[in-house]
Amino acid sequence: MASTMKYVRVPPNSASLAEARQRVFEFFKTACRSIPSIMEIYTLDDVTSPSQLRSVISSEIRKNAHITNPKMDQLQRIEPDVIDMLLFKGTEELCNIVEHSKQRHHILGQYVLNREDRTHDIGNKDQGASDFLKSFYKSNY
Amino acid sequence: MASALRSTILRHIRVPISHSLSVNGSRLTAVRSMSSHGDDHLDKQEVVDRVLDVVKSFPKVDPSKVTPDVHFQKDLGLDSLDTVEIVMALEEEFKLEIPDKEADKIDSCPLAVEYIYNHPMAS
Repeated sequence: MASTMKYVRVPPNSASLAEARQRVFEFFKTACRSIPSIMEIYTLDDVTSPSQLRSVISSEIRKNAHITNPKMDQLQRIEPDVIDMLLFKGTEELCNIVEHSKQRHHILGQYVLNREDRTHDIGNKDQGASDFLKSFYKSNY
Repeated sequence: MASALRSTILRHIRVPISHSLSVNGSRLTAVRSMSSHGDDHLDKQEVVDRVLDVVKSFPKVDPSKVTPDVHFQKDLGLDSLDTVEIVMALEEEFKLEIPDKEADKIDSCPLAVEYIYNHPMAS
C-alpha cells in the first residue's frame, strides 16, 4: 500500500520523454510488487500465477508504447503529457485494485481470462492483421 | 547466579566458535548457531541455475538461446520493459528488493548473477 500511495505526491508534469520513461518503469515495478497482495485479496492462486500477471501488466503498458515512437504519423508525436495522463489512469486503476474497490470477477474478466481473443490485441490502429476481420468488424455485409 | 557467572566468564575468556565451555558453552554455541548472518550465503552455481530458470520461463524468451552470459536486449531480443520484467521476476524468486539505480544496471545474465550473489539477503 505504501508504494502505491507514494505516486500521488509526484508532480504531474514530466520534463522530458526520458523522465516519463522512468515513471513508466517505476509504475511497472510498483504494480509488480503489489502482485502478491493482489493475489491474496482476490484469491487468484488457483486461477493464475504471478508471472502471468506480470505479463498481463506489461502487455497493457505495451499497448500504449506507440506513443513514444512517432514513426511517420503526425498524430502521434512524443508527448510526455499524454504519457503522464496514461500513467495517472494506470495508477488509479492499480490503487482501486489494491484497495479492494474492485471485485474478483472484475479482475478475472479484465486481466486474467481470454487474453488471446481480444479484438484490440489485433493491432494498433495502424497495423491490421487480416482484411477479413477488418471488414467483419466494420459491418456484417 | 548463572548470568553473573556467564558475564564474568565472557569478560575474561575469548571463545572461539567451535570451542564449547562446560556449563555456559552450550548456551553460547546455541546462540551462535541460531544467528543467520553470513552463514547461509547462496552457492554461486545455485544462483546461476535459478537465474537461468527464471529467464527461461519468461514467455518471450527462447529457452535454447539462454546461456549464463546472455545479454537480455542484444542476444535475446527483448526490449527495456522486458528487461524490467525479468528483474522483477528475479526479485520475486530471490525474495529481494532491488533499488532502482541498481536495477537499471542489470542488463544481462552475468550482471544479475553477480548482483544476487553479492546481496546479503538473497535466499
